[in-house]
Formats: sequence, C-alpha cells, structure tokens
Amino acid sequence: MKYSILASTLLLAGGVAVLSGCSQVQEPAGICNMSAIAAQRQLAAAPSRVQGGESPLLEMPLNSVSITDYSVINKLYVRTVNARRTPTGTVEVYAQIINCTDFPLNAEARTQFYDAGQAPSEPISAWKRFNLPARTSNTYQTQSIGTQSAAFYMVELRETK
Amino acid sequence: MRRARALPLLVLASAFSLSACQTVQNTAGTPTQYLDPGSSGVVRGVGIEGQDIRSMSDEMMRDLLTVPALANASISPNVIVDAEYFQNESSSRINKNIITDRLRVDLNRASRGRMQFVGRQYADMVQSERNLNQAGVVSGGTIARTAGQLAGDYRLGGRITSIDARDPRSGMIERTHQITFEMVNLQNGQIIWSNYYDLRKAAQDDIIYR
Repeated sequence: MKYSILASTLLLAGGVAVLSGCSQVQEPAGICNMSAIAAQRQLAAAPSRVQGGESPLLEMPLNSVSITDYSVINKLYVRTVNARRTPTGTVEVYAQIINCTDFPLNAEARTQFYDAGQAPSEPISAWKRFNLPARTSNTYQTQSIGTQSAAFYMVELRETK
Repeated sequence: MRRARALPLLVLASAFSLSACQTVQNTAGTPTQYLDPGSSGVVRGVGIEGQDIRSMSDEMMRDLLTVPALANASISPNVIVDAEYFQNESSSRINKNIITDRLRVDLNRASRGRMQFVGRQYADMVQSERNLNQAGVVSGGTIARTAGQLAGDYRLGGRITSIDARDPRSGMIERTHQITFEMVNLQNGQIIWSNYYDLRKAAQDDIIYR
C-alpha cells in the first residue's frame, strides 16, 4: 500500500515536471521590470529661485531623459543617455530607448541644453520623432547649437500623437 | 373633402408656430485655436505638415553645425541656402521656401558668424541699389563699396520625393516622403554634406493642402 502511494506520488510529480517543461513559454527580450525601473527613478529639486530656499519643483536630474507622458511611462525604458563633443565642439546627446510592450510605439523627444550656471543656453530643440517596433530599441540623437555654452542637457520624451 | 382642405391649413399653422419659436443663438462662435506648431494639428493628412517642417529644419541645422568645413573653418565660408536647387518631385503640394527659409534663418541665427549667408534671392535688390549708387543718384551709404556682390562657396541642393499607395476599397492612402538635403562646393561640385529626413503616413480622410 505504502509503495503504491509512493509510486503514484512520484508519477504525479514527474507528470507535473514534464508538463511544466512543455508549457514554459519564453518571453522575448527585452523584459522590463517596471517596479525596478520605478525604484531607480530619482527626482531632483530644480534650482531654487530664492537663495537658501527650496524649489517646489521636482524633476529628473540634468543629463537625463524625463518621460513627460503618462501614456508611455510604463511602456518605455531609457537604457542609456550619453553625450560627447562633435568635431566642431557642439554637444551630441544620444539616448537608447526600449519599447517594453508587444505593440509598436511612436515616440518623440526634444532636448534643452543648459550652460554651466544651469540657465538655458539656446532654444529648445524641435521634437524629433522615432519609431519603436514591439520589444525593440531605438536611439534618439540630437546636437546642440552652441559649443562651449552647452554644459548640461535635459531630454523630454513623450508619445507621438 | 373637408379634411383634405383642413390638412394644408394645419401644416401651415404648425410651420408658423414653429418659426415663431426660432430665436437668435446668442452665443460666441468657436474661437480660433492656437496650436503648438511643433506638434500634430487638428487637421492631419499624409502630406508634409508644420511639425515636420520644424523637425526637419531643426535636425538639418544641428547636423550642419557639426561639419568642420562649414562650422569650424578658419575663414567663415559663404553659404547660399534657398529653394533654387531644391526640387519638389513628390506628389505633395508644398511651398519649398517654407523648408529652405526656416533652415537658413535657423542656421544663420545659430552659426553666430561661423558661416556667412549670401542672400542670392535678393541679388536684384542689391544690384539695383549698387547701380543707383554708382550712377551717383544716391549717396551716403556707410558700408565700403565692394567690387561685386559676395560669391557663394557652398549652396544647398536637394529634392523632395515620395511614394504613394492607395487601397481602393477602404480609401486608405499611404505616402512615404524622403527629403534630401545636400551642401555643394560651388568651385568643384563636391558634396560636402548630405542628410535626409523621411516620413511615412497613412490616412483615410480627404485633406487638401494649399
């Protein structure tokens, strides 16, 4: 009796293991852990207008990409954002954006460059549109107008509507 | 018979009473909407639209500023940016000047002396004043006389092309535009910079561009 119970238990466990092996569906990359992405997001206080005071505005820190659109904040992930000098001294910003969804998305971004004193150094760039097929990445890239005047940048990202 | 005569009278009376109910709709009209010129508007079609113009001219201007021959030359080059050699071969109706004017103005403001812009489209205007000056009809200009007008070192060329597709059952139209920009050396014809902007749109609505 004991043996038969043990055997049937083993058989059941084996069956379950085989079934789970068959039914396992691999999710295609990239897989975005939105909770971890949200936990990594750190907002910074904007420069205060009053000396010694605190700004009531919390925003993404400079040299980062700020998703300004509710509709894509849990759909897109900014993998990297970097900048480098071009041969003529202007600043080239490039950011890799990942579409975490199973659907194509149209997004657009623009960049404001700031001088060393964090004042806008030039007019904000126009919105630049780019397409993100399902579960793929694309690169947003733009350049500053000024050379030495561009010290920081802030990229705004939203869905194209 | 009596009923037949009464019916038109009834209709007439009710029409009169209804017309008496009509009053002036004393409300304000729909106000003009100011829209963000950098975003899609209310009326959207498959053609090149305002937000595309802004986006493409901004992108080209920023890219041109990374070309050392233009933005980092020891002597600022003379550049001509106009629509003379910028052709529209697409099926979209568009005034080419809206693209080249914006590019020239953006580039002129951004370059801050790194390039000099030649207003070739104003050559007649300049020549007319030079003629008056040389004939002694006018005098008192403060700028030193030059032998001639400024020659161009580089000039913008390019073209707008498109591919159209239409589904006759649904009426859906799809149009792909490719707008090519090139900067040509006017001494030897070398293309020192090229870039393009492309867009693909689909729509069902019958939008007329003017």
